[in-house]
Amino acid sequence: MRIAIKREEIKLETLTSVGKVASSFLEEAKKKSGENLGLCYQCLKCTAGCPTAPYMDIRPNNIIRMIQMGMKKEVLGSSAIWFCVYCQTCGTRCPNEIHIGVLMDALREMAMEEGIPAKEKNIHLFHEAFIQSVRRGGRAHEVTMLMEYILKSKDLMKDSLLPGVKLFLKGKFPLLPSFIKGRGEIKKIFEKCTKK
Amino acid sequence: MRYACLRVGRRYAFLELVMDYLYFPGCTLYTKAKNFDQTARNCSLLLGFELKELKNWTCCGATFPLATDNIMALLPPSRILATAREEGTVLTTLCAVCFNVIKRTNRLIQGDGEKRDKINNFIEKNYQGDLQILHYLEILKQDIGFPQLREKVKKPLEGLLAAPYYGCMLLRPFKEMGFDDKEKPTLFEEFLEALGAKAIEFPYKIECCGSFQSVGSPDVATECAYKILGSAIQNGAEAMVSTCPMCTFNIDHKQSDIKQKHLDFKPIPVFYFTQLLGIAMGLDYRTLGFEQNAVDPLPLLSEKGFL
Repeated sequence: MRIAIKREEIKLETLTSVGKVASSFLEEAKKKSGENLGLCYQCLKCTAGCPTAPYMDIRPNNIIRMIQMGMKKEVLGSSAIWFCVYCQTCGTRCPNEIHIGVLMDALREMAMEEGIPAKEKNIHLFHEAFIQSVRRGGRAHEVTMLMEYILKSKDLMKDSLLPGVKLFLKGKFPLLPSFIKGRGEIKKIFEKCTKK
Repeated sequence: MRYACLRVGRRYAFLELVMDYLYFPGCTLYTKAKNFDQTARNCSLLLGFELKELKNWTCCGATFPLATDNIMALLPPSRILATAREEGTVLTTLCAVCFNVIKRTNRLIQGDGEKRDKINNFIEKNYQGDLQILHYLEILKQDIGFPQLREKVKKPLEGLLAAPYYGCMLLRPFKEMGFDDKEKPTLFEEFLEALGAKAIEFPYKIECCGSFQSVGSPDVATECAYKILGSAIQNGAEAMVSTCPMCTFNIDHKQSDIKQKHLDFKPIPVFYFTQLLGIAMGLDYRTLGFEQNAVDPLPLLSEKGFL
């Protein structure tokens, strides 16, 4: 118990030595995610149920604690926010109904707005490739999407190409995308959104 | 009265169609999960309804936007909903991810007037959120009924130990999806039992498969899939049954990777639930797209005498 208290003190000290505790980060995260992060009492149900927590550098419960402490740089630069796949197990089990999946999405957006490079670069690239694919044809098309992803991530051959080839051999990957009729509409929606 | 013609077993059958359901397939059902799409369409004809494909549908966006100010990601599902409303009042999907995104967007449009106006302004339509979104399994349960389905089964899947895998998207977030119980759902088990199979209970049935991490960090997804499959096998499953193309990719196609990592792992076939429905309804197994399953299910099926 005593050790735990000591650790807390150290954290607060380091924070105050840098400057004042940045509570604005907590407010910002609260506003953007719409989740009441102050309610978290660290029961760890979220981390216990999280399928990707073993691979995260900061566990979900710690993410909330660190937001409360105002550790913006550490949180937005973590790999945890990119490992979350939003399976919503945490949110379903949280006794205070904090949806961490929602929070993680908000944090990803904040990280992108701040220009903080994603620690899991490839996951971000995959999101981008997906959006581009929808932008082109109205529907997601795996071959062109994965091609773009492979070229951008420079992950040639290794992990991403092989499953694609296997799926193609199973007849599951049509090479040409199916373009829909209302593509003008889609283009317009994209243009409107980027203008804003 | 409308009829459809379909090859059942060795003969062609004329089937009376009672109902139409507006159907949103989603991108993967045209590519990666063609067998899912095709079997669902054929089975629906046998059950007396037709899946009428929505015109000019687009990608649903594949994730429901979570940050409160993200309107852009709400637009594709909203556009789908608005065009669907012009054609009917009920929309059905097969893919669990599409179902999740579309149902949640519909709820949001229903409940949030401010966002609804914003969205309508963007997509230049006037949609008020008055569509009913149903998953194919829900149609089977509510509109057909599992006891009636049991009567229509021609070849009961007796002796098949199948593990129903729900994944995340059908169930969560619990309050918005309202599909089944959040920790102990039973709808899928009831479905399998109506087909005559034995549903295996295993603790990982609602766990996440690792989702899109299979592209960015494949090891993570492989581990997730290993846990799920291992838990099912340990509880006696001979096959997995899935409702989602994404889950199926992770638990079916990843089995070769799992085998390289975990030498004691024995691959088991993964079915879409419509494939099992197809066998039970007496469809020719060659029309059920088993050649597209990564782990070949035919040895198991012939061992059980279902072919």
